[in-house]
Amino acid sequence: MSVSTTIITSVLAVIGTLIVAFFVSLWLPGIERKFVHARIQQRVGPPLSSPGFMAPIKFFFKETIIPNSPMPRLYNALPLIGLLSIFLILLFTIPQMYFLGALTTVIAIVGLLKIEEVIYMFMGVLSRSVLSMGMPFPDVVKGAKHPNAKRSFLEELSSLRAFRLIAFGSFPIYITLFIPVAMAKSLYLSEIVAYQQINGPILFTIAGILGTIVFFMGSMILLNEYPFAILKTKADVIEGPLMEYAAKSRAYIYITRGFLIFVLASLYVTLFLGIPPNILDPFFLVTVGTAIIFPILMAILSAFSPIFTFKQFYPVVAGTSIIGILGIIAAFI
Amino acid sequence: MNDDNKINNNKSTKETIIETEVAMGVVHPAALEPYRVRLFVEDEIVKDAEITIGVNHRGIERIMEGLPVEKANSLTEKVCGICSNSHIWNSVMVAEKGLGIEVPDRAQYIRVIMGELERLHSHFLYLAHGNEVLGHETFSMRLFYIRETVMELLRMIGGNRVQYGAPIIGGVRPRCELNSKRIQKIKEGMDFVEEKAINFADRFVSDPMIMSRITGVGVISRKDALRLAASGPTLRATGVARDLRTDMECYDPFDFDVITQDDGDVKSNLLVRVLEIFESVKIIRQALKDLPEGRITNRSWEMADTPIIKSYIEVPRGTLYHSYRIEEGRTRNVIIRTPSMSNIGAMEHACIGNHITDAQLAIVQCDPCFTCTDRAIKIIEL
Repeated sequence: MSVSTTIITSVLAVIGTLIVAFFVSLWLPGIERKFVHARIQQRVGPPLSSPGFMAPIKFFFKETIIPNSPMPRLYNALPLIGLLSIFLILLFTIPQMYFLGALTTVIAIVGLLKIEEVIYMFMGVLSRSVLSMGMPFPDVVKGAKHPNAKRSFLEELSSLRAFRLIAFGSFPIYITLFIPVAMAKSLYLSEIVAYQQINGPILFTIAGILGTIVFFMGSMILLNEYPFAILKTKADVIEGPLMEYAAKSRAYIYITRGFLIFVLASLYVTLFLGIPPNILDPFFLVTVGTAIIFPILMAILSAFSPIFTFKQFYPVVAGTSIIGILGIIAAFI
Repeated sequence: MNDDNKINNNKSTKETIIETEVAMGVVHPAALEPYRVRLFVEDEIVKDAEITIGVNHRGIERIMEGLPVEKANSLTEKVCGICSNSHIWNSVMVAEKGLGIEVPDRAQYIRVIMGELERLHSHFLYLAHGNEVLGHETFSMRLFYIRETVMELLRMIGGNRVQYGAPIIGGVRPRCELNSKRIQKIKEGMDFVEEKAINFADRFVSDPMIMSRITGVGVISRKDALRLAASGPTLRATGVARDLRTDMECYDPFDFDVITQDDGDVKSNLLVRVLEIFESVKIIRQALKDLPEGRITNRSWEMADTPIIKSYIEVPRGTLYHSYRIEEGRTRNVIIRTPSMSNIGAMEHACIGNHITDAQLAIVQCDPCFTCTDRAIKIIEL
């Protein structure tokens, strides 16, 4: 095979993988909502294509409105930055991109995931919804309590919570990302994949099993999935940092969520099964299958639990992190 | 700065400095109705709370002024979409008390059956909404599914799922008569409801995550509940065995327990309602078993002028008060006070000391129905 053919094949593989991943990801929210939540809750539920596919299309054709924000353009740009960071995670895990060196390490992946987390904090700071403080109400002049109290927007609460989640909520997933690193003794994805091709998937080791549990819980926290959705709980902050998004920006939010589910599943398959996403590899079906199983399992867990406040959140994160640390210790043994 | 603000500034000089205020409402997904709650928080812990209502004022009492008594009674049904039967029942009782009308036994039994069916659907709605605020959509959906049986029974008897009020002056509406087919359906419905409610209760109390969310949250002590004039299940959840049904003559033939819990938190409030479901089923079964034969309406009465007559009854959310006088066959000086009016103080108190995510839960535990409460006008002198 000539060099030019190799290059063309590689480019096609990268583009093909990204396109297939994108189209699969559009169906994942529908699977979660239709086949799991609705079935468990004994209701019909939305059409399969509705939450992930039709809803973004619908929002793309809605009238663009300027959000209530001190910096509306930056606020509207944040979902695209989030989508881009996730896109890059998938791109760097594709084997044809391993020539990028440091960008294809676990450290780079952690950095890109961190962007996704930090974005919520900025969204919260930049959103000023009418639902919280902007709605006029004459209670302050009617002998109300504490009339001089400083008023906060609901999104400010979300922003503070996003900050706390950055500080402790993401421990589990970052810990578990280093279990394959400890086993392969390399930060490079290429070497982690190569290690598993020689020694078998990490999943089938004690460290791998512990890592799988922690990765799953960490993914749920990263996705703000119930019961870990304190960032956007309907009991107080409603949609939280996402409250002011409408039209195209909201479409990007929906797309990002579906895509993140796929990317996390793909990352798991790469790190714990040694199968990187590659459309030319028939094992790519494993990635797609995992991407479908992920939302199903998450939906089952979320359907049977109430939303956590920090009182429940801290022990769960602490417990999961301890399991992750045990996984790393097991990886060294 | 206007005069109002000046006055408020003077008032607040001695008040505690509050870190920040988070206002929710008047439109908020955790609240089924329009109300505004101002939460004064420090590090996401509620230090003080204030609930403001009044955006859904419909002036029903004013509309009732001067209407013929029968028409005014049917208008009270529109006060609440959940306790519609209770309102018309109490309103009719005011006229019956004032005019000295005797209600046939069969009609009294049918009124009790309707009242208890209403309690069932109200308590199921409460539990479903409580679970929704908890973030447990699955339980919420399943509770709505169980409630559907009760709603269908109410529709069967009253002809409507919302405005199904049975009482009229002197008895119950002719279409609310219970024949053997209807009795059988109610019996089957009660079997279904009881079985499902037992399953739910078992699953609910054995879920550690739910117990962690609701235990010790939104606590109202017995002393505070009495001080704040809480009523109904909210009061009983603090350990006070006060249920007006024990004083209502129409409940004399029935054997039932007044359910109480001791802790006054969300868990106690939820459990009081769950256990009251079984008591309601018990009362309905007794009423169906001993349903007297005879007429369902006493038509032999005459309209007369009466002084202001007051009537208190126990409805699903607490104590309901109706009063009016009759002048030339028309109602005058109408006052309606719903249970939520007396529970607002308890709701505000329950929020204090909890995480802000639990604030709506602490309010919802008192089973608010603000749309019904939005009739009274209180003038505050500044």
